[in-house]
Amino acid sequence: MNSPWTGKAVHPREDRRFVTGRGQYLPNVSFPKMLHAAILRSIHPHARIVSIDVTEAQKFPGVACVLTGEQATQMSRPLRSLIPLPVEVPYYCLAYEKARYVGEPVAAVAATNRYVAEDALEKIRVEYEPLPAAVDPEASMKPGAPLLFEPLGSNLLWHDCFNYGEVDEVFRQAAHVVRERFLIQRYSSTPLETFGCIAAYDPSRPYLTLWTNDQRPGQAMPIIAHSLGLAHTQIRFINSDIGGGFGNKRKPPYLVLAAVLSKLSGRPVQFIEDRRENLMALVHACNGAMDLEVAVSEDGQLLGLKVRDIADEGANVLNPTVHSLLKLGNITNCYTIRAVQFDGYSVMTNKCPSGANRGIGKPFMCFALERMVDEVARRLGKDRIELRRQNLVSPESMPHTSPTGSFIDSGNFPETLNKLVALIGYDSFQQEQAKARTEGRWLGLGLALAVEPSTSNQSSYILTTKKRTASGAAEAAMVRVESDGSVQVVLGDVGSGQGHQTAAAQIVADELGVDFERVHVSPYFDSLVSPWLYTTGNYSNKFSGTDVGAIQGAARKVREKIITLAAHLLSLPPQELELADGAARSKKEPHNRKTLEELAHVAYRDLLALPPDMEPALEGRFYYRPAIANLPDEQRRVRNQLFVSNAGHAAVVEVDIETGKISILKYAIVHDCGTVLNPVIVEGLVHGATAHGIGAALYEEFVYDEQGQLLTTTFVDYLKPTAVEVPDFKTDHLESPSPFTPLGMKGVGEGGAIPAPAALVNAVENALEPLGVRFSDLPLTPERVWQAIRLARTK
Amino acid sequence: MEPTVSPPGPLKLSLRVNGVSYVGEVEPRKTLADFLREDLGFTGVNLGCEHGVCGACSILLDGAVVRSCILLAVQADGSEIATIEGLAQSERLHPVQQAFLEHHALQCGFCTPGMVMAAIDLLTRVRSPTEPQIREALSGNLCMCTGYTNIVRAVRAAAEETATSPKHE
Repeated sequence: MNSPWTGKAVHPREDRRFVTGRGQYLPNVSFPKMLHAAILRSIHPHARIVSIDVTEAQKFPGVACVLTGEQATQMSRPLRSLIPLPVEVPYYCLAYEKARYVGEPVAAVAATNRYVAEDALEKIRVEYEPLPAAVDPEASMKPGAPLLFEPLGSNLLWHDCFNYGEVDEVFRQAAHVVRERFLIQRYSSTPLETFGCIAAYDPSRPYLTLWTNDQRPGQAMPIIAHSLGLAHTQIRFINSDIGGGFGNKRKPPYLVLAAVLSKLSGRPVQFIEDRRENLMALVHACNGAMDLEVAVSEDGQLLGLKVRDIADEGANVLNPTVHSLLKLGNITNCYTIRAVQFDGYSVMTNKCPSGANRGIGKPFMCFALERMVDEVARRLGKDRIELRRQNLVSPESMPHTSPTGSFIDSGNFPETLNKLVALIGYDSFQQEQAKARTEGRWLGLGLALAVEPSTSNQSSYILTTKKRTASGAAEAAMVRVESDGSVQVVLGDVGSGQGHQTAAAQIVADELGVDFERVHVSPYFDSLVSPWLYTTGNYSNKFSGTDVGAIQGAARKVREKIITLAAHLLSLPPQELELADGAARSKKEPHNRKTLEELAHVAYRDLLALPPDMEPALEGRFYYRPAIANLPDEQRRVRNQLFVSNAGHAAVVEVDIETGKISILKYAIVHDCGTVLNPVIVEGLVHGATAHGIGAALYEEFVYDEQGQLLTTTFVDYLKPTAVEVPDFKTDHLESPSPFTPLGMKGVGEGGAIPAPAALVNAVENALEPLGVRFSDLPLTPERVWQAIRLARTK
Repeated sequence: MEPTVSPPGPLKLSLRVNGVSYVGEVEPRKTLADFLREDLGFTGVNLGCEHGVCGACSILLDGAVVRSCILLAVQADGSEIATIEGLAQSERLHPVQQAFLEHHALQCGFCTPGMVMAAIDLLTRVRSPTEPQIREALSGNLCMCTGYTNIVRAVRAAAEETATSPKHE
């Protein structure tokens, strides 16, 4: 088959709507008589709710209804945790009896507009009895810590110790054992559009219609259906354009809350977070601590790891342990390390619930590993590039299974490193650095390598849940040639800015032999129309791993039918036909053809012209499931994500040792996501993810004080990098196609977020090498850098 | 008992948006962004932070870029406003919009209207901006998707385009 569209640098077609201001984001969706919700939130990290008086709020002009936690317990069931808890805990859409973090929803108002709703919040009187808060995760695990949920008897949600390979043996034999402690802060990708939803409840059926930017419909559906006591057939779930997701936009409690308010008021209710609510209460990546020990042979071979990892989940009882699992699965990064002990803890504190955030857990994995590799090089007096090269999984040994069971399907890690070294100018840097030092300038070069796995295998959760509630990976798509011959595509995963409408059209155009412009891809998900399953949604970089297979599978079903129909009409054997130029035609005599329009006319209107046994219409639905997904084996090894891209990042930085300010002078990225379907889209995702990594490394942190108060609730305190801070990127790439995906593609979109923090901190330490400054935590704010320099100088 | 203060009634307002005049009333506390979105239907004015930092709601007010989320609608009385919706002339995009398309200077698109307005403001003031000038001018607009690289490229290209074809407004 000739492939004129896949691989082509097609400019994303969705861009035109967005540059003209025609995005159909959730806040732009509106209905007659729609109410607006506002939420009263806890001002305390931890407090007993003694009483709530809503009398005045209910009487406030324009208010339709007011909801408290107590009413929520009567109108909904607790949100079901995705991990088994010893007892059911009262986790509702509003706090009930206790508030457990600053910003937790305590009461809600639905009113004619948001101004009135917010006025009414001020009329609600809440009497709190403040309680001591659990803030530090390690203290929170200990007996005697203030408990978030008393019936659980502990804040420790999960603890397990995994041993893979001969850990003790390897550590006994090691010539060196290096120990370090690494910390990571709370941060979040903060999509520019905040979370939102509109619920319209019709009591006469009863039926709930939900419009939302929740990016994981397949998982949200069963949670909200259970909480509201509705069958899936009684819920219609719709996504319109999503203004960025990065994992953050998943919040079943808000969907339930809007539904209950709609039920109470009898009107559609819209809830849209403001930015302060978004920063306080949507989702934070886990902060945490990792004690890492590495066993190294005399000649620098990395033999084994011992990891003690603590993930601070905040008040997340809904879907904890995700960060822990992804660290566990990828803990050997791109190295041939053969033995691993992983002692993992997932612990609750009185902070914002944790949740998915670009790269989930892997930025911390990479931060710890790649900092450690630099440290080992220093201790052994080896070159950091050579040490890496010596330990990389070789292309000859692909596919490679790591001790934890992760499956690296393809890649050429040494070549990624070679290209990176060339792109950043590693060989000439030492001279440059030496010269700069004579001028009193402190330059440093740092680098980091990372695996970038994609497509979550649901089976991996069995490691923490010990229950088989789901397994494997999949996505769905529908392709339909309409009766005029134009082609319609409907996706389970509509994306949130990754150009899915363009990429899907490229694939379908090739499969059906039609022009790209003839293929329309719906930007919207609608559970009544779109094919979907539990794994449906926009997460885990899974477009290449599952979505492509679904799109291709659906197109091929239609293709097969087109050929059968055309063969019948042209009286030719099917194998003599091909699809090209918008028609099915004879390979030998291309003029002997039927256009899609002619075929569709038969398929939808001239039904008696169809072969007698053929179902009318040209439509195909396909649910694609990658064959390589597995279940955990007896040693608890599992392929936690299925297809592994990789990246190398290198940065040259300058540190102003008087102020602690860091400037990025040069930034190089080499990545390998297999076959590139659309280079324009891929390049954009690589840049964007890297900016997230830079933010995490240098600027972003949700700061809680010792009492559990959140101090960073605006974009004035929670700093995102702007066009001034993010440098121009030098990029290069490799294409190591995956033998296990339909087009050889692998995930792209998280890669930049994973190695950037390690590369930057390694660069800063390299700059400050003469002072012996070491950093174990993030972000490297000027204050933190300046303090470290001062400390080093006074030693 | 708390003292009851009755809110002041609506105020008269007249302004021009994208060349069309509007005369009406608005609650004094209503923000310009909400007024443009809810009363006039210019939903291309996106709200990203509502505290004047992210720049998604940027519009041109009497030719200068402002954040419509931290202005009150009544403050715009008598002014001339341009939003993203008014830039294209039928099918023909503004050179900055065109450059954003050609350089894929967006992903989710939520920052794009504000970013385009900030870029237009820059190019009105500085004919051939340097890269640092472009970055500085866009530093009041957050983009969470692109890492800014393609946005900077687009603005540079638009500057070159407008410098060579001075007739386009």
